[in-house]
Amino acid sequence: MTGHAYIHTQTLLNKVVFFQELAAFENMADQMKISHKELESDGFCQNPFFGCLVAEVPEEHQSKEGFTVVGYALYFHTYSTWKGRSLYLEDLYVMEEFRGNNVLTVLFAQVAKKKQCVRLQLSVLNWNTSTRDFYAAKGAQDLTEREGWHLIRFDGENLDNLNLSLKKSWFSANSLK
Amino acid sequence: MDFSIRAANQDDCRDIARMLMELSEYENMTDQVKISQKDLEQDGFSTKPFFHGIVAEVPEQHKAKEGHTKIGYALYFYSYSSWVGRVIYMENLYVMPEFRGKGIGKALMSKVAQLGLAADCTQLHFTVLDGNKSSLNFYFSQGCLNLTGKMSYQFMCCEGKALERLAQP
Repeated sequence: MTGHAYIHTQTLLNKVVFFQELAAFENMADQMKISHKELESDGFCQNPFFGCLVAEVPEEHQSKEGFTVVGYALYFHTYSTWKGRSLYLEDLYVMEEFRGNNVLTVLFAQVAKKKQCVRLQLSVLNWNTSTRDFYAAKGAQDLTEREGWHLIRFDGENLDNLNLSLKKSWFSANSLK
Repeated sequence: MDFSIRAANQDDCRDIARMLMELSEYENMTDQVKISQKDLEQDGFSTKPFFHGIVAEVPEQHKAKEGHTKIGYALYFYSYSSWVGRVIYMENLYVMPEFRGKGIGKALMSKVAQLGLAADCTQLHFTVLDGNKSSLNFYFSQGCLNLTGKMSYQFMCCEGKALERLAQP
């Protein structure tokens, strides 16, 4: 099967099943909160929040369940105030029965070619040694191990409280220009 | 002390460039800064900006020892989670040392949160060095979750020759 996967930009993303498979693999299926509707509106509007590449196989190589789209990479543009224009690879996934055929590597490479970016960043679970090895073999540096960077998140009630504290804080009448 | 927060404009890039160098000194990473004021102007204020900024300003009578009235900033951009959707990412948060402890950092961060919520983001993400205990303690006091510490996410990066090799498998 090697070499028969085609990588292209998906114009209509309906692969929520992939996200569910990836979430299940990472033992975080309960954290999935969006549906294909949000993906369609956020990825294919005038100012999309993300870009997406899919890997497709010919009909004769379709998956057991009949899928021809067998992998994807989801990414978006970011900015580093030290290095400049960057990309973040949010997801990289190939269905299990299609692994070991270079599809992951080709998807990863296609993202890396995007738009004059000087840096490609991503995060990976520290127990996922095969994936960490894959990225290390491609030259990725672990910034958490090397420099001590931790990824921090605010959401839900804590994010709302952060917003509310702005309204309570004592700044001048012109503060919300 | 009175201060105000407003959206950054192209003219602020000189002060933002100054303050981001101060931030890199604080993080002992000045050798990693490769962009200039010009890059910030181009990348932040074109038709499709790569980032947005907010600036904290004090009145003339409270200006810094060196004479600056722009004494803090935050840079952010919109990112995405395939699980929860729109996210706001805070790339930098900085207040000059002589203006710390006055609620300015908190106000800048709250403004980023407000902007994110207004854009239908459900999460605010950023990174912090594990050695920066005072910042970590501040963020934890505000209710954040350490995705690296608690959920085992390692933050990875490909750049330079490694990125070039990657693009040609």
